[in-house]
This record gives sequence, structure tokens and C-alpha cells, in this order.
Amino acid sequence: MSSGASVLVIPWPAGRTIKLKDRNIDMIKQELILRNPLGYLGFETEDILPAGKFGAVLAHAGVGKTALLVQLALNSMLRSRNVLHVSLQDPVNKVTLWYGELFNHLASQFEGAQINKLWDAILPHRFIMTFRVESFTVPKLEERLNDITEQGIFKPEMIIVDGFHFDSPMRPALVALKTLAGKNGMHVWFTVHTHSNEKPGLDGLPPSFLPLADLFDLILELQTEHANVHIKLIRGLSSASPTANLLLDPSTMLIKNPS
Amino acid sequence: MTNKLENVRNIGISAHIDSGKTTLTERILFYTKRIHAIHDVKGKDGVGATMDSMELERERGITIASAATFCEWQEHEINIIDTPGHVDFTIEVERSLRVLDGAVLVLCSVGGVQSQSITVDLQMKRYKVPCIAFINKCDRNGADPYRVIGQLRTKLGHNAVALQIPIGLETDFNGVIDLLTMKAVYFDGDNGERVRIEDIPPDLLAEARKKREEMIEAATMFSDELMEIVLAEKAIPDSLIIEAIRRGTLERKLTPVLVGSAYKNKGVQPLLDAVTRYLPCPSDVENTALDIDNNEARIVLEADPSKPIAALAFKLEDGHYGQLTYVRVYQGTLAKGSVIVNSRTGKKVKVGRVVRMHADQMEDIEAISSGYIGALFGIECASGDTFVSPGRNLTMTSMFVPEPVISLAIFPKDNKSQINMSKALNRFTKEDPTFRTHVDDETSETIIEGMGELHLEIYVERMKREYSAEVETGKPRVAYRETITQKAEFNYTHKKQTGGSGQYGRVAGYMEPITEEPEDFLFINEVRGGSIPTQFIAACEKGFRQSIVKGPKMEFPVTGVKVVINDGASHAVDSSDMAFQAAARGAFREGYAKAKPVVHEPIMKVVVESPTEFQGSVMGLLNQRRGMIVGAQDEGAMTVVEAQVPLGEMFGFSTVLRSATQGKAQYTMEFALYRQVPQSIAEQIAEEVALRKRSAA
Repeated sequence: MSSGASVLVIPWPAGRTIKLKDRNIDMIKQELILRNPLGYLGFETEDILPAGKFGAVLAHAGVGKTALLVQLALNSMLRSRNVLHVSLQDPVNKVTLWYGELFNHLASQFEGAQINKLWDAILPHRFIMTFRVESFTVPKLEERLNDITEQGIFKPEMIIVDGFHFDSPMRPALVALKTLAGKNGMHVWFTVHTHSNEKPGLDGLPPSFLPLADLFDLILELQTEHANVHIKLIRGLSSASPTANLLLDPSTMLIKNPS
Repeated sequence: MTNKLENVRNIGISAHIDSGKTTLTERILFYTKRIHAIHDVKGKDGVGATMDSMELERERGITIASAATFCEWQEHEINIIDTPGHVDFTIEVERSLRVLDGAVLVLCSVGGVQSQSITVDLQMKRYKVPCIAFINKCDRNGADPYRVIGQLRTKLGHNAVALQIPIGLETDFNGVIDLLTMKAVYFDGDNGERVRIEDIPPDLLAEARKKREEMIEAATMFSDELMEIVLAEKAIPDSLIIEAIRRGTLERKLTPVLVGSAYKNKGVQPLLDAVTRYLPCPSDVENTALDIDNNEARIVLEADPSKPIAALAFKLEDGHYGQLTYVRVYQGTLAKGSVIVNSRTGKKVKVGRVVRMHADQMEDIEAISSGYIGALFGIECASGDTFVSPGRNLTMTSMFVPEPVISLAIFPKDNKSQINMSKALNRFTKEDPTFRTHVDDETSETIIEGMGELHLEIYVERMKREYSAEVETGKPRVAYRETITQKAEFNYTHKKQTGGSGQYGRVAGYMEPITEEPEDFLFINEVRGGSIPTQFIAACEKGFRQSIVKGPKMEFPVTGVKVVINDGASHAVDSSDMAFQAAARGAFREGYAKAKPVVHEPIMKVVVESPTEFQGSVMGLLNQRRGMIVGAQDEGAMTVVEAQVPLGEMFGFSTVLRSATQGKAQYTMEFALYRQVPQSIAEQIAEEVALRKRSAA
């Protein structure tokens, strides 16, 4: 097995041998879904977040916020859930690259042809929109969303917003977005860029994010310690209790279980 | 030739269709005194621009083949490759870029950075071609060069720096201000041939000062010396700025921007100055070749005329006196009478006439030395071949050639056309590796294949015009493919004993999909104990290979199949090559039917650039065509929608797109991948195939 194997191995029941190449696409899909290590954070529902809820991933620049969210997106796509990826910083090509890279790492132990087939199968569940950060508004997003949903082109169940600027004047926009998400049965994940010169408060949140934090139901933080990137649960849903400490593999950016 | 390599520039002029690059080239040739009158692209005088040497190009106002031409400016020798602008001819563009050292990116001051410019820019990046930008058509309504500079930065990621600012715009466009000398430049005379230099008009002085500061600031990044002088607030010598900008340009970290209007004869001479100042000479660029004898090790070529020859044939043309081969010499000297070897075929040839091209006129010369572009007569070769001195075995980096995705049946109208058509096809296939032709065994139709509708259309037109071959065309057909999706076994006996000598052969084994691309077909012999005698194994393979040419499912070529034979039987008298070929064909049919065959279709990457208000309908159009939308990118007033759409659904898309967007949207299309056809569509295709078969019968 190649490098991806170090991620997390679910042991097969003893005495059962299935040749890798004999597995069909659905089996690979199932296995990749099973291997989603976020389950180890104690989430039982498949989507982690219910409709109309907000999730955030906090980290300094370059630690792996986008990589983490793209993995959540890939997991949804594998379960045939539609993901709308809204990027305010990267062009479509670059976002596509993220998905391609992470998917290849994730599925690296399977055969090339099968990976390609699976990729073709899940790709229709993704839609990328990019906006310039200065011209991004919620009404604009809603208009675009209507463009694609009304024509039956794409109906997202999960939205990722990458590169949103969290300043307190943005509160009305976020509230509007939350209403929009609730109305359309979607949940939204955000990346939140934190600054190293900002000391986190008692609850682990940076002061600049605090005025908006009440809008978020789930907050994860990526923390670098030595060569490792830890995924810390700062705020979770009531049922969630972290059972494992997860890491982000710095070489592949994949989520892994240290145990 | 001056034989001073540092005074040589091999440049390309590439741009979006209709940005005016052919007009610009025409003006350059006029000012460098290679031609003595100016003809416009769609000229009323019926002569057409000089670079558009093909009649058809003159009529349509577009440039198809990259003619190479030579001119001189301020003691510099400039070789210009006029590259085609339409995406269907991308192979030509890419091949030209391979032989260039630098390029002028022409942009329309109204249209700005259009989708085609993005494609061309990507290609330039791939071949690391340094470039300068020329914002043309500043006399047109709606001209806004500053917006275009902004787009160069945001859309193409260039560090675009203005070296000039326009004096007036649209109908008031009078000349340019040179920010280096801080002088206004006007162009007088009937054809703008007299350059008049004056002081900057007072109303523009403040702006010019501001822009000059920006220019110098950008240049300081590439010269510490310049930085020190700027910090010390001393007078800055021009040469220092030029040197810094040149350094930035060669590293592709800075793109100098010039403005003008070629049609109105303004700004062309300063552009030529910029070409000689900022673009690289052949020795500034590192070129490499692969050593075939030494496991394709990379060898750096030196632009030294005394070293052994390494030259690349990058374009062929059929002239009145036989085949003309355009070559770029990377090392050594290609002289009249010298002996060279075509490293692909291993054939030795003696160089006959050596010429230098000026669009469709030529000039005999003695030799082409390293760093130069010229043409040879009477050399048999294909485009992309490498020529070397005897005893060496080098090849220039092989260029990626995509497989054709569309085909068209053509029928000559009469006997004379039939003969001319074969001549034309023979020529075109040599010139353009993405253009192919074959005769369909069943229908005896001549089929041409290429990269898009327009690509084939142009060749059909050229047949008519250049070879007077009148041909009719069938409906364009998409290059579908068949493949299998699971392993299946076969065990087939071919037996015939009806009079004469009998036929007997049994072939058994299995077939399975090939997972490691890019193999199309694999044949593996695992027969033990001679159940099929060794002399018949080749016949078995031949039988299987015959079968994959036309798949049993829908008669499309079969790809991605591995066949393993492991058993069989033979007869001492009745077994023969023929019998085993037939048995293999039968075995293939038997196994294939069980192996769940499917049809694959070419999927194109389609990029539509439209005003934001139309992006909803554009996405609707793409969606109706079974397109999968990858994403929508906000570019301010414009939105770029990227999608993957089956080629079969793209016929006539340009018309539909135009009417849905009031003609304000543009699109480009290139081959992306093959993907399985959905069931309902596969049935439709099957019906079409059946219909075609019936009508052919």
C-alpha cells in the first residue's frame, strides 16, 4: 500500500479476503465514507451539521483550513450529497486542484481506473463558484443560487465558504445567509483566518471572532504543535463528545487518527 | 545576416482572433521596409495583408498557418512567426511557441483579455516564453487600455507595467507618451512613417510623472543598482531602467505594456524598439534536446554555429517548387550542401536550397546558423522532425499531439477532384499531426479527422482553393470508442469442412479491461504445452487486432482491452493461419458480448465568458447539452463558466450562444477526456449507427 495507507486502517473481519480489483465502485465508496475520521470526533449524524447550522474551521494562514473543508466536501459527495464550494480567494482551477489532489491521496490504494470512475461519479455533486472578496454579498449569492436551482442545474445540500472576511460589520450578512441556508435545507462551513498576533480568550476563540461566534454551532481549530497539525474541537453540538484527537497529515493534508 | 546573435529576435505575435495581429504584422513589415505598400486584412484593394499568404485567410480575414518572415529594425534581425488565433489550430500555435524566444501578446483595448488570450497565455507559460503586451485598437470606441492592464494582472497574473500612456483615446487618439524618455511621440505622414517627438502636453504631464514612477518602482525589483539610485534620488540613466525591465521580462516576472493602433499607424515603431530592447536573443534562452542513444538524457544545446547541427522542422508548406520546410536551428550551421540526418527516420539528406522567408516571397541564402529561422527546399520530412549532424542521435523534446475527436466523410465530385483530393490530403496530414485521414473499409468513404468543426471546415475549403478539389461533406461524426467493463472468458472453435481443404482452430482464454492507461490493446500468450502450435500464435493476435478496429457493439474502435489466451486446439491438416485468425475473431466476439461493453464519448472542456447578467442562461444552455458545470468565476462585469460537455452536443453551440447573449459571450473548447455514454444516449447512437449501415448497404 502506498502513503495514503498510513491514514487510518479499518480492519476487515478475519478470514475474509477481497481482492482490491474485484471491488466495485460502490464498495470503494462505502469504504472511503467509513474511513471518514471525523466520525471519531463523536458525530453520529452523517452530515455533522443539521440544515441551517454553521460550522467554522479556525487556523492561521497556510495550516490547512481549505484542505480540511475539501475533505468534508468529498465525504458528502461520496454520499451523493451536493456541495457548493464558494471561494472568495482562489480561481475555479485552483479549487479544482484541491479536490483532485485530496481525492487522489484519499483513494491512493485503489486502482487508477477505478479511482477515475469514482471521480467521474462524484464530480457532478460539486459546483464551484468564485467571487471577488470585495464584491461578495449574500443577495448576490442568493441570486446565483436561484440561477442554478431554478433551472434544475444544481441544488446544494452543503455550502463551503472559503475566504470570508470576518469583521463585525458582516453580522447582518451572516444572519441573512443563515436564514437562506435554513430555508433551503443547507448547512454552511466557513474558513476563519486567525492572526498569530491575536491571543485567544478563555474559550479558545480569538477576540475578533467573538462577536460573531454565537452564530456558529460547531467550531474546529487547527493548531500546529511541532510538526503536527491538531484538529481541536472548540465548540460542538450537545451530543458530541470528542473521543479522539485528530491530526492533519502535513504531507498529504489528510485527516488522520494518531492512534 | 549580421551574425551577431545578440541582435537576433525570434518572436511570435499571438492573440485573440480579431485583435488585429495580422494588421500589426503588416505594419511592422512596412516600417522595416520589407514591403512597400500597406494592404489591409479585409482590404478593398483585393491584395490582402502580406502575411496572410493563403487565399482563404485573406477572404476570411483570419490567419491559419504560421508563416515565418524576416525583417530588420535598428540593426536587429527579427524573425516573426504569425501564429493562428483560433483554438482549433492550437497545435500550430504550440508548435510555433516551441521555436520562439519571445512573444508579443496583442490585446484589443476594447475587448481586453478574452478567453483565447488566456489559452495562448497558458501555452506561453508552458514553454516559458517571455512576452511584452501591445494594447491595440486604442482608436476604437470604448477603448480603455488601463482596464486591459488591470485584466492582465488579475486574469492572467502578469506583473503588467505600462511603459507608455496614450495621448487621447478613441477618435482623439493621437500618439503615445514614452515614460522612459518622458516625451510625446506622434506619427506623421500618410502611413505614420515619420515619427515626431515633442514635449509632453501639459495636461498629461502629471499623469505621465505618476505612471513613470510606477514603472521605475516595478523595475527596481530587478536591479539593486537602480534601487540605490532611486533611493538616493539621483538622476536615473535610461539604460539602467531598460536593463532592469529586460531582466524582469526575461524571467517572466514583469510584462512591459505598450499601446497603439496598428490600423491607424500609431505606436508600431516604439513597439519594435521594445522588441529589440526587452525580448531575449537566442542565447538568452536555454534549449534542450534528448539524446536517444543515452536513454533520452537531456542535453543543453549551445547557440554556437561551429558545433554539430541540431535543428527542428516546425512547419511544412507546399509551394510551387515542392515542399518547403521551415526550420529553427538551435546549434551548429545548416549550410547549402551539408549532410544532415533526420533523427526520426535515420535517413541522410543533403541540403539543397536554403532560403529566408518573407511571407510568400523568398530570398536565397547560403546557410542558417544557430539561433536563426529559415526554410529548406526538397527535404522529405514531417512536421516536428529533428535534423542533426551525422553520428549524433538527438531529438528535440517531443511535442504532445492530441488524438482527433471529430470526423467527417468527404466525397470528391469528379475524377479530377479525386486525384487532387489525395494530393491535398497527403500534404495536410504531413503539415498538421492533428489532422488525419483514412478510407472506411465498408463504405469506401474517405474520412478526415481533426480537432473541431472549424478545423475540418478550413481544410475542406483549402482543398477547393489550393488544389481545386471539389468535395462534398457528410455530417460530422464524433469519435466514439468502445471498451469492456468486466472480465469474460471465451472458448471458440472455428470449423469448416464443406468441400476443399477444411479449416480448424480453437482459441480459449479471457479478456479484461486494462486498468493502467494508456495501453489500448494488450495480447498475452499463456498457452502451455502447444495446444495452439507456436506458428499460429501470431495469427491469433492478428485476428484479435482485426477485431478491435471495429467493435462488435457499435463498430467504434475498441480500446483498453487485454486479451489472454491460455488454451486451444489444432488439427494436423486443417489448421492454418486463416483458420486461427477466424477463430480469434470468433473468440473476441464471444468474450466481448459477455464483458459488458460500453461506449465512451469525447468530453470537451468548454469555457464560456459572458457578461454576468447572462450567466444564468449560459449555464442553462450548457446544462441542456448534458454539460457538467465545474464552476462559475466572478470577474467583475464578466463571469467565466467552465463546464465539461460531450462533443456530440456541441454542434451549432456558437449560434445558440450568440442569440442567447446578444452576441456578447465567447467560448473556447478543447478536448478533455473520454467518458462513458449514458444508457439513453447509447441507444440513440446505436440507432444512428444502424441507420447509417442500412443506407450504406
